Amino acid sequence: MSAQPAISISSLSKKFADELVLDRIDLSVTDGEFCVVIGPSGCGKSTLLKCIAGIADPDTGEIHLRGRNTESVPSRDRDVGLVFQEFEETLFPHKTVAENIGFGLRQQSDAPPEEQIEDRIDEMLDLLAISHTKSSYPDELSGGQQQRVELARHLVRDCDITLFDDPLADLDYKLQKRMEIEMRRLHNELESTFLYVTHNQDQALKLADRLIVMNDGVIEQVGTPEEVYTNPANAFVGRFVGDSNLLVGDVVRTTDSEIVVETPVGELAVSDTGERPAEGSEGAVLVRPEDIVIGDGAAHCRNNVGVVLEGKTYTGEVTEYSVSVPGYDNDLQVVKPGRPDDVDNSNETEIGFDASAAQFFEEMSVTGDMKVSDLLKAEQ
Amino acid sequence: MSETNDPRIQSEQPEQLESSRTMLDVSGLTKIYPDGTLAVDDIDFAVDAGDFCVIIGPSGCGKSTTLHSLVGNLDVTAGTVSLDGVEITDQPTHDRDIGLVFQDFQLFPHLSVTENIEYGLKQLGVDDQERRRRTERLLEMMQLEGLADRDPEELSAGQKQRVALARSLVLEPKLLLLDEPLGDMDYKLQKRMERELLRVHREFDTTFVYVTHDQTQAMRLADQIIVMNDGQVEQSGSVAEIYNSPNTAFVSAFVGDSNTVTGTLDQEHPDGSVTIATELGSFKALPDNLHSSVSELLGSEMSFSVRPQHMTLSDEYANTLECRVKDVIWNPGSSTQVLLEVRAENAEKEISLKSWELADVPEGDVQVSWKPEHTILLERTSVVGGVDLQKDILGS
Repeated sequence: MSAQPAISISSLSKKFADELVLDRIDLSVTDGEFCVVIGPSGCGKSTLLKCIAGIADPDTGEIHLRGRNTESVPSRDRDVGLVFQEFEETLFPHKTVAENIGFGLRQQSDAPPEEQIEDRIDEMLDLLAISHTKSSYPDELSGGQQQRVELARHLVRDCDITLFDDPLADLDYKLQKRMEIEMRRLHNELESTFLYVTHNQDQALKLADRLIVMNDGVIEQVGTPEEVYTNPANAFVGRFVGDSNLLVGDVVRTTDSEIVVETPVGELAVSDTGERPAEGSEGAVLVRPEDIVIGDGAAHCRNNVGVVLEGKTYTGEVTEYSVSVPGYDNDLQVVKPGRPDDVDNSNETEIGFDASAAQFFEEMSVTGDMKVSDLLKAEQ
Repeated sequence: MSETNDPRIQSEQPEQLESSRTMLDVSGLTKIYPDGTLAVDDIDFAVDAGDFCVIIGPSGCGKSTTLHSLVGNLDVTAGTVSLDGVEITDQPTHDRDIGLVFQDFQLFPHLSVTENIEYGLKQLGVDDQERRRRTERLLEMMQLEGLADRDPEELSAGQKQRVALARSLVLEPKLLLLDEPLGDMDYKLQKRMERELLRVHREFDTTFVYVTHDQTQAMRLADQIIVMNDGQVEQSGSVAEIYNSPNTAFVSAFVGDSNTVTGTLDQEHPDGSVTIATELGSFKALPDNLHSSVSELLGSEMSFSVRPQHMTLSDEYANTLECRVKDVIWNPGSSTQVLLEVRAENAEKEISLKSWELADVPEGDVQVSWKPEHTILLERTSVVGGVDLQKDILGS
C-alpha cells in the first residue's frame, strides 16, 4: 500500500445558485480502501462524487488523485471510473456481452492491443461469474446478469479509483443482497480504491471499510462502520446510522461515572465517557433498540421504564417491539433476535437498559446551529 | 384417517373460529387481458377483519392486477370478490366500501389538509356537523392538528402520508387498499412510515390490504402474507408460517434469506426423522413440512432449506458441513453474516450463516452444523408448473 492517499480533498466548496452544497470539505481516502459516503438526500454526497470525477467544477478547494492536482485535468484524463445508478438500458442491444464490455477500452485513444483487450474481457467475465453469457445479447440476460455486464464494462478499464453513485438502488431486494456480496468480492480482488455513495445505510454498513457521514454540505463523521455505529460523534450521526430511540432531556446531575438526564420517560443514567456536561444543559439520550431488554431481565438493568406493549412484529430473523410510555407521544423500539416471547399485546411490562448502553449528546451536529428540536423536526 | 379429522382441512374453515370474521373473500379470481395475458389464474384467498394483509411477489406476479380487481377498476374474467359477506364483483368502484392509498398519495394540490380530508365526506353529502366532527377526529388521531390549513406542497413526505391515510380513513371504509405507498422513499423515511402505518392500523382496527414487492417490508407489516408467483398464490399465512413452514421452494427463497440444497429423500428413521441425500452429504430432517406421507415420497427428488441464523459455527448438531470462510460481513446493530464455501469433492456450493453472538470468526476451514428441526423440507418447487429450482428461483 502506498503512503500517498488515493484521493485527497482539501477545503472543497461548491454552490448551486445561492445554495452552498459542499462547505469546505476535507477528506483523505487511503489507497485500496472501500469508502462509503452516506447522508440524507441533499447532503451533497453526489456532488462530491461529481467533483472528484470532474463532471462538476468545485468553486474553491483542491482535489488530488494519487498525488496529482486535478484542477486542470479534464474528466476523461483522470483515470477514474464512474458507475451510475441508471444501469438499465445503457448496454448496446446489438452488441454481445463481450463487445459491450470491450467497447470502452477499444474507444480509448490509448487503447491496448486487441489481444490484451480480449484477455481483460475474459478476466472480467470470469470475475463476475458470467463467462457463459459472453456471446449473448443483453435482452437474453436476466436483470442480475445485465447488472454485472454493466459493472464489467466500467471495471474493465482497470482504473485506480472507481466512483459509484448508488448503483444498486433500483434493484429488487434479492438481487441487491447478492450484488452487495459481489461488490465486496470485487473490491477485494481488484485491489483498487472504491468511493461509493448510497442513501441506504444498511448497505453502507455492510460494504464500507470506512464510512463518511455527510449532512448539509459538511462531513459529520469518518470512521469504520463499527466506530460510527457504536460511537457516533453527535446525535445526528447516531440517529442517521442505524435505528435508535432518542429522548430529549436536561442534565440533572453528574456523578463520577454517570450523567443523569431528566427525560419525558423519567430519569435516565448514561455512562460518562468523556466531556462532562453542565447541570441543566439540554441534550439527547440515544439508545439502540437491540440494547434494550424487554420483560424478564429488565429489572436488573440500571434504567427501567414501565411501558405498554403496543405491537410486536416477527420478521423471521428478529422480533421488533413497539412500546409506549404513559404521557409520552413517541413509541420506543426494542429489537430481539428470534421469535416473540409470550408478552401479550397491550400488556403492561417493563423495559430496561444499562447506563453503558446509552449515550448522551449535547451536540446535535458539527454544523453547530442544530438544536434537538431541529433534529426531530427534520425527521417529521 | 377420515378427511374431517385432518387438522389442515379444519383450519381452512375460518367460520369455525369464533374470534375472526372474514372481511375479504376472493374466490376463483381470474383475469385475462385483451392481449391474452393470463395475469391472475383462478386464485382464492380470504382476509380476516382487522388484519394487515400484505400481498408480495416478483414483478409480473399478478399482485397489482389482484389489487385493481378489488378496487373495481378493471373487469375480472371470472371469479368473485366478497366484502364483509356481500358480493361486490360487479359493483362500481364508488359503491364499494373500499379506500385506496397510492404510492404518490395523490392529494389535491389546491386544497388544504382539512379540505383534502373532508373531500370524500362532502361528495357523500354528509352534513356539516358530522363532517366537521369526523374530520377533526382524524386530524387529531393523525397528529395533523397544527397543519390543518397547510397546502400539500408545504408538507413533508411523512405528513403527506398521514393526510392520504386520513382522507381514506375518514370515510370509515371496510377495507383499505395500499398500493406500494412507501415505494419511492429513502431507507430512513420508509422505516419511520412503516411504524406509523402499524400504529394507524392498530388504532383504527380497519382491514388493510397492502401490495409491495419488498419482502422485508412485508415481514415487518403483515399479520397475513400472500405470496404470489406467475398469477397464482404460492402461500397465504402468518409471517411465522410463511417463514418457518414455506409451502414451496419458491416461498422459502423469496421470503427471507435461505440456503437451499436439492437431493433425494432416502430414509425414514424409527423416531420419525428422515434423511435426505445430496451431493454435499446426507442430512437429517423432520417431516413436519411435508404435505404427503414420507413413505410416498421416499426415493423422490426433494429440496430443503436452512435459514442462515439456524446454521452454527460448531459441530454441536446432527447435520454438519465442512466449509471454508470466504467473507465476514460485520453488521453493527444486527447479525454478523459469514459467507462460506462448502468443501465438497464434486460440488460447488456457497452458504450463508448469520449470528448475533459471534465475537470473531476464524479464517480458513470451519465446521458448520444445524439441528434436524431446522432442515425445512420442500416437497414442491412451486405451485406453478414447469418452474426449475436452480434456473428460475435460485439462479441469478
